[in-house]
Amino acid sequence: MVKSSGSLLNRLAFLRGLILILAVVVAFVYLGFSREVRLGLDLKGGTQLTLQALPTEEVTEITSEVMQGVEAVIQQRINGLGVAEPLVQISGQDRLFVQLPGVADPDRAIALLGDTAQLEFRKGLVPANTLPRNELGEVTAGEDPDALFEHVGLTGDLLRNAYPQAPRRGSQNWEVLLEFKPEGAEKFTQLTRDLAGTGRPIGIFLDDVLISAPVVGAEFARTGITGGTAVITGNFSVETANDLAVKLKAGALPARIQVIENRTVGATLGEVSVRQSLYAGIGGIVLVFIFMVAYYRLPGLIADVALLIYALCTFALFQLLGVTMTLPGIAGFILSIGMAVDANVLIFERIKEELREGKSLYKSISEGFNRAFSSILDSNITTLLVCGVLFWLGIGLVKGFAVTLGIGILVSFFTALTCTRTLLLAAMGIPSLRKPQFYGVRMEVSQS
Amino acid sequence: MTTQEISPTDPTLQVPHQLNYRFDIVKRSKLWFTLSLAVLVVGLTSMAFCLASFGTPLRLGLDFSGGTLLDLSFEQPVTTEELRQALQEHNLGSSVIQLDTSTSQEALIRMPPLSEEERLAVEATLREEVGPFERNLVETVGPTVGRLLLRSGILAVVISFGLIVVYLTLRFQLDYAVFAIVALLHDVVLTIGLFALLGLTVGMEVDSLFVVALLTIIGFSVNDTVVIYDRIRENLRLVSRKVSFAEVVNLSLNQTFARSFNTTLTTMLPLIAIAILGGATLKGFAIALLVGFALGVYSSIFIASPLLVWWRQQRSARIVDDGDPENGDPVEVTAQGS
Repeated sequence: MVKSSGSLLNRLAFLRGLILILAVVVAFVYLGFSREVRLGLDLKGGTQLTLQALPTEEVTEITSEVMQGVEAVIQQRINGLGVAEPLVQISGQDRLFVQLPGVADPDRAIALLGDTAQLEFRKGLVPANTLPRNELGEVTAGEDPDALFEHVGLTGDLLRNAYPQAPRRGSQNWEVLLEFKPEGAEKFTQLTRDLAGTGRPIGIFLDDVLISAPVVGAEFARTGITGGTAVITGNFSVETANDLAVKLKAGALPARIQVIENRTVGATLGEVSVRQSLYAGIGGIVLVFIFMVAYYRLPGLIADVALLIYALCTFALFQLLGVTMTLPGIAGFILSIGMAVDANVLIFERIKEELREGKSLYKSISEGFNRAFSSILDSNITTLLVCGVLFWLGIGLVKGFAVTLGIGILVSFFTALTCTRTLLLAAMGIPSLRKPQFYGVRMEVSQS
Repeated sequence: MTTQEISPTDPTLQVPHQLNYRFDIVKRSKLWFTLSLAVLVVGLTSMAFCLASFGTPLRLGLDFSGGTLLDLSFEQPVTTEELRQALQEHNLGSSVIQLDTSTSQEALIRMPPLSEEERLAVEATLREEVGPFERNLVETVGPTVGRLLLRSGILAVVISFGLIVVYLTLRFQLDYAVFAIVALLHDVVLTIGLFALLGLTVGMEVDSLFVVALLTIIGFSVNDTVVIYDRIRENLRLVSRKVSFAEVVNLSLNQTFARSFNTTLTTMLPLIAIAILGGATLKGFAIALLVGFALGVYSSIFIASPLLVWWRQQRSARIVDDGDPENGDPVEVTAQGS
């Protein structure tokens, strides 16, 4: 036996190493667990949409400028929804990726995002009471709007602001109050002066659909409505008035958009998924721990301790980096624990080989680490390469998986080489633990 | 069989060396290749059948095929007929309806892709005619989304292969890298083939997570191969030049058996747990990984390494290696007295 392993000096060094590791772990865990876990859409519920911009007669090609315009408008509209932590991302040439975590009413969100919201005030050419009506009795612009209304160039881009306004006395319906920019105010005055007292309506169009056709009273015939404000009345609830105001304020979308992908997860389903995945993960990890002790004895037990430290550190690191936990993310994390075990297995197998060759315990351990190092390095790097590719190409779910697996591999590389080693050498400092059978090797050769 | 200890540099040694190990993997190369080919044939046949019955080589999930999926929890038990009748009003009578058998309250309805307005109209009809429900999940995927996903998936595989070849060529040699990729292709193609079989037999569908699973299999399976290559390289430096390459590979495989088996097992244990207990979303993912990892460890031992031996034997009878044969610790070598 080599004596140096048991010397006081060495033992102090390992004790220091142990204390250092513990301190790092405690600090990490404290920092990490003091925050709330950020859960992805699939776990806490919410809506994920992919929107595609479509060319129109005016916008024949979806350029990156058009997409930036679309992104800005969508971002503004989402801000009007009051969602916590929304995500809006341009992906590819003509797509927009939108995440709305925890939205209780996804349908409303989709309706809010999808409309172009091109507002236009047009001049009525026929009396309001002769306008065609649909089966619900609402006025419509009929088959040929241009025969009934004339464009006067008063559009949404001349608006300064729009907000919902509570119902007036005796009414159930909310209203939307508009404020024009000076140029818009001028046009509006002009329009109302022309129409006042004629019985011909102002046509208020949203995305080329007539939403209301108010008539201007005769008292405005001389001056028109001045002051630069107007009110849209109609069958509005508080939500619809608010949503219309948001749309008008954010301005019209520069292109038509279409929802090509919608994934909405209810909060209950998310909870169930979290629970199931966690049980599964914990169950699997417990099995791994049992296996390690059964097969590798003392080093296996030490590896389990190192793995626990690994799992805590990795999780804390996710928290510190603000990684959002998704279902594939959890899978990546569980998988990374498997990878962390691999490093330990490589080391222990090597230690066993050295022991079988009749080397001393101390030499076997240090040799085992040295020889396993290149295998661990190579195998980790190849997996990291794939993680990198997944992260770079992936969207959403795939990214979460790549991130957790990648971080996991980096941390495991560190813990396998430091924690396991320190703990093993610390255990060696205890004379009663220095029997080869504790290391899963039966020694037939009597030691000389 | 008598064995005697000799040193590898013994000049009196004339017979080819025989190293000391238990399993001669390389000798039965043909058997291993045949096994893989058999699985490949089964997979390709399944894919052909899939192509005939669904028009695609695999049974595609929503992510690839496009469509609208509703997962609804009704407050009262409902019947498939009620649901189908309500859907019929929107000409969606041919939708796939799965009703949870235990309570008859949770329904999975899969329809062709609907616009948001159409979907809301369908939901309204269901509310009126079948009963109130809570929405667990809504997924609408346009028909073009899958194509994009497939393209980026294939791109990811190609790029990963490229990076792995470059890295392994730097660390080992080009032929090592090439056979590692052959083993990877083996794992990916066989996994796809087996999933085609599962699609035919138990209706297993593949979604975007399947693409992630394939990429993970690539990352993982190359792991095993690299560990074995590592060992081969190390042994080449230790043993005498007279030992044949096949012998060195056999020795390396035997030395890494325990590690390959244990690592695969410890990685699979959590996956088995997820496959059994995990949510529906992760089940297919876990099964794909299990299949792929099992194939991966098989291909590292029984495909990549024997192929490397075969290739080197084709090239020359002598071992040519970059590694300087250091005179490190001599390996135990036993000569067979015939």
